[in-house]
Amino acid sequence: MLRRIVVCLLAIACVAGARGAWAQQSRPADERLGGCFDGYLDKAQTAQATAPQPGEPAAPAEIRIGHLHASSGPYASISMPVYLGLKLWVEQMNAGGGVMVKPFGRKLPLRLISYDDQSNPGTAATLTNQLITQDKIDLLIADSGSVLTAVSVPIAREHKMFLFDPTGTGAAFFSKDNPYIALLADPVSTVWPRFLWEFLKSDVAAAGLTRVAILYSTNDFTGTQAAAIRAALKAPGSPVQIVFDQGVPTSTSNYAVLIDNIAAAKPDVVLELGYVGNDIAFLRNLQESGTKFPMVFTLYPGIETSTLLKNAGQAGLSGVFSYVTALAYSYPPEVGMTLEQFRDSWEKSYAKSGVEFGWNAIAGYVTGLVLGQTLACTNSLAQLDVRKAVFSLSGKLKTLIGTFELNEQGAQIGELTPIGQIAPEGKDGIHFTVVYPPAMANGKPIFGTK
Amino acid sequence: MRRGVREFVTVALPLLAALALAPLVYSNELLLFNFIMFLILAQGLNAIYGFTGYLPFGYVGFFGAGAYGFALAVMHLDATPLPAMACAGVAALALGVVLTPLLRLSGAYFAIANLAAAQAVYQVISNPALQDITKGPYGVTLSSVFAPALSYGVALIILAATLILVAWLRNARFGLALQAIREDPVSAAMAGVAVVRGRTIAWLLSALIAGLAGGVFAWHISVFYPETAFDLSFSIFAIVFTLFGGAATQLGPILGVLLLYGLYNVIGITVPQYFQLIYGVLIVLLVLFLPDGLASLVTRRGFRVP
Amino acid sequence: MLAHAILSGLVFGCYFTLVGLGLNLIFGVMRIVNLAHGDVVMLGAFAAFWLFALIGLHPLISSVIVLAAFALLGLPVYYLVVPRLLAARDSEMLSIILFFGVQQIIEALATIAFGTSERSIPGRVLGRGPLHVLGQTLPVAWIVSAAVSLLAVALVYLYLYRSRVGTLTRAVMVSRDEALASGIDVHRVSALAFAIGVALAGLAGVFSPFMLGSATPAMGGDVNLAAFAVIVIGSLGDPRGTMLGGLIYGVALMLMQTYMSAWANLLPNLLLIAVLLVRPTGLLGRQVRRA
Repeated sequence: MLRRIVVCLLAIACVAGARGAWAQQSRPADERLGGCFDGYLDKAQTAQATAPQPGEPAAPAEIRIGHLHASSGPYASISMPVYLGLKLWVEQMNAGGGVMVKPFGRKLPLRLISYDDQSNPGTAATLTNQLITQDKIDLLIADSGSVLTAVSVPIAREHKMFLFDPTGTGAAFFSKDNPYIALLADPVSTVWPRFLWEFLKSDVAAAGLTRVAILYSTNDFTGTQAAAIRAALKAPGSPVQIVFDQGVPTSTSNYAVLIDNIAAAKPDVVLELGYVGNDIAFLRNLQESGTKFPMVFTLYPGIETSTLLKNAGQAGLSGVFSYVTALAYSYPPEVGMTLEQFRDSWEKSYAKSGVEFGWNAIAGYVTGLVLGQTLACTNSLAQLDVRKAVFSLSGKLKTLIGTFELNEQGAQIGELTPIGQIAPEGKDGIHFTVVYPPAMANGKPIFGTK
Repeated sequence: MRRGVREFVTVALPLLAALALAPLVYSNELLLFNFIMFLILAQGLNAIYGFTGYLPFGYVGFFGAGAYGFALAVMHLDATPLPAMACAGVAALALGVVLTPLLRLSGAYFAIANLAAAQAVYQVISNPALQDITKGPYGVTLSSVFAPALSYGVALIILAATLILVAWLRNARFGLALQAIREDPVSAAMAGVAVVRGRTIAWLLSALIAGLAGGVFAWHISVFYPETAFDLSFSIFAIVFTLFGGAATQLGPILGVLLLYGLYNVIGITVPQYFQLIYGVLIVLLVLFLPDGLASLVTRRGFRVP
Repeated sequence: MLAHAILSGLVFGCYFTLVGLGLNLIFGVMRIVNLAHGDVVMLGAFAAFWLFALIGLHPLISSVIVLAAFALLGLPVYYLVVPRLLAARDSEMLSIILFFGVQQIIEALATIAFGTSERSIPGRVLGRGPLHVLGQTLPVAWIVSAAVSLLAVALVYLYLYRSRVGTLTRAVMVSRDEALASGIDVHRVSALAFAIGVALAGLAGVFSPFMLGSATPAMGGDVNLAAFAVIVIGSLGDPRGTMLGGLIYGVALMLMQTYMSAWANLLPNLLLIAVLLVRPTGLLGRQVRRA
């Protein structure tokens, strides 16, 4: 009998302990709830309703932004720059007294609550729910990378919370029946390579280079791009012939044998689509093997330029084709800093952090800019109003990465990156020459250098 | 056997009741769901490790097989969730049958071979060549059957069944035979225990439990990638929780999950910047200073832990 | 294509022997699974990277420094955790959890110290241009890494089979209890083996930027999976078995990359399972099948 009582007590203590542990978290949320305005209460009130207090102020003390990042594990190297870029924006805004929030007609400070999911999707799911249900955030931003973004999509939808998706490009996230998501910084994977296949079918084919080899890492991000390119190159009337088309596991870290195999297919053009680590290994192995192809295209020299330069070197990158992101092509921003200003602020804040400046850093900052503009033009913090505000920016918002443009499902279709070729500059630097599309080009491609 | 019933009533029922009522007072229901899931996994692992001594390092393989069994049934057979849950169980059982020969290995060999098997299943399912069947690396979306409240309830039922099973294993002849195998297979065989049949049954039960956990996980989160369903941390967490609490008991794994997974979340939410570091230090200290689990604190003094 | 795949598989396999060697030694002597092995490899990679980036130290010189430094680092770690661990009831299984914790600590500290971006040392540091071997071209850096790996295997073999303490080490491998009973200072022998195991992991790390493209604090998990495959295919405890396992792993991986690249990672795992089922203690192992 005694044992039974002890066990019951233990079970109760466990439950009570678990609740007590979060009391600290939920306290500020309760205080803030007291300061909510009517339109917001409708949408965000939950089971923990507190009695409305008389004479509540019109505006909350702060805007709470919920976010996830991965400081460790396989997605850390793409997640951390996004997080730090976003954090930089928040700190800048707060230094200037906060952001303008239209429903309250004044500036409010921002509070960024960013949890670490350690690249673990299960943890990311719990923490997303924590942000929504316990921290009572006003705006929700997903972690970067499709695998970690994915778990947040149904949770956000279930709680009718609009999900700001910085770089999770998985095409499956965007559907007509889910109004609670928009992709902010990366173009969706099915659209992103459009300039690439157009370039291959026009200028490259005209130069007599028609045999294409595709080598891609089998994950959502690069697999979807490979599929889009493959479909476009196989379309009727295409002058291009695919002579090699293989996927490799994303964990592949040596390409010597694969390069030898590709060479055996005698392609004119080699497209290697992989993550940062894949591209570094491929470009290093390509250089060390002494094998030459008339044209080589990889993704990350244009996306994480300084990481690639440090790892593959000037010689390893020279002649390679890649996307030209805002890192190497200046778009005059109407909102926020220019690339140079942002890079300076980044170096000032994070030079010793071991997180390289690159496209993902910009993506985090642009996510902040979109958030700021959304708050400036939304009618209320009700999530469907937030959505309306985000979509109202489409086609109008011009940042350092170009024009923000969403399709009706919330996928990013603006901000398309032109195609460029890398040339050495100075002792160990590089620069990009934009070669396609013609309207943006500032030079001609030189084939046969790689 | 009466003791088994009593143990279930004193340990499992209060836990189940608490978990059933918790969503009414605590709104991060997904966290509660994850608690249930790890409780199921820890007890499933307990069924094989606690009672036979085989440590399935690749336990997540069954979990992932269950998740994909569920997903494939929904996507290709237009199954409703409950039949799809049955498919999840069958998928994991089938994998368990295929992997039964691994039981011939012992110690670390078994653990590593099982890990390799889980990796192999992951690599098959995530292969783009099977895109038409499994959607390969592109992940699955099951929004048509998404039902968080119902799947929460089903998870609770699976947990209840698992707890009953463990209470039975601890007190029935069969469970005692298994523990005899763990201590000394040769003597057990000589005493007339059917060694091979006993551990095969424990193995398949354990696989089935993980498969059902995987199925209900797939149902509950509804959008996931192969990396999610085969995340090695499912294995590691289940092992750590079970060992911390004390294997071969019913209460041990429960305490392990409630305390350690609870702590994991508290650290993650309160000090996210040192999340991994603190958790790592904690695990090292636990193994060094409490190697036989929480239950040993009590059994060392001569008490029986339910 | 076939010749190239086999040749580079052999060279690559030599390096993977080195990756598995330390893990194997520690398991063989102490019967504990060092799950943090891959993270020690990572630390070796970052040590070499910083020595090169800050003072321009050649990786071959770094490798000597790393060997010594990591061995010294391994000793206190051994005395802090291993004797306590071995006293536990099921230390073989508990070690997996303990070193999972160690792995978390190492990765967390490395992330704080080094950040999350990819790091590497240029391949030209180990020699310029491709090398022609038997009609095939291979990167010089690969040949150098493989040569260092072979040297390490040879030294470990000499240590185990031509030195007195090596003989004692092998005695502990065969039976810890009997070694203890016959008056061998089991802890001293084990501590040495642990230190050498950690040092070998560090050495493997020094060459990982050349063989694996680049290093990040998160690389440990993938390294572990490969190392497990290598040592189990060979046989736990025997360096010659590791060599065989490394070569089989390397060649199998490269053949798969050549003919069915999307399935390349599947073969090592299937091979591991198959070898274990046919010969449960690895290709060169002694028979100790349960029941």
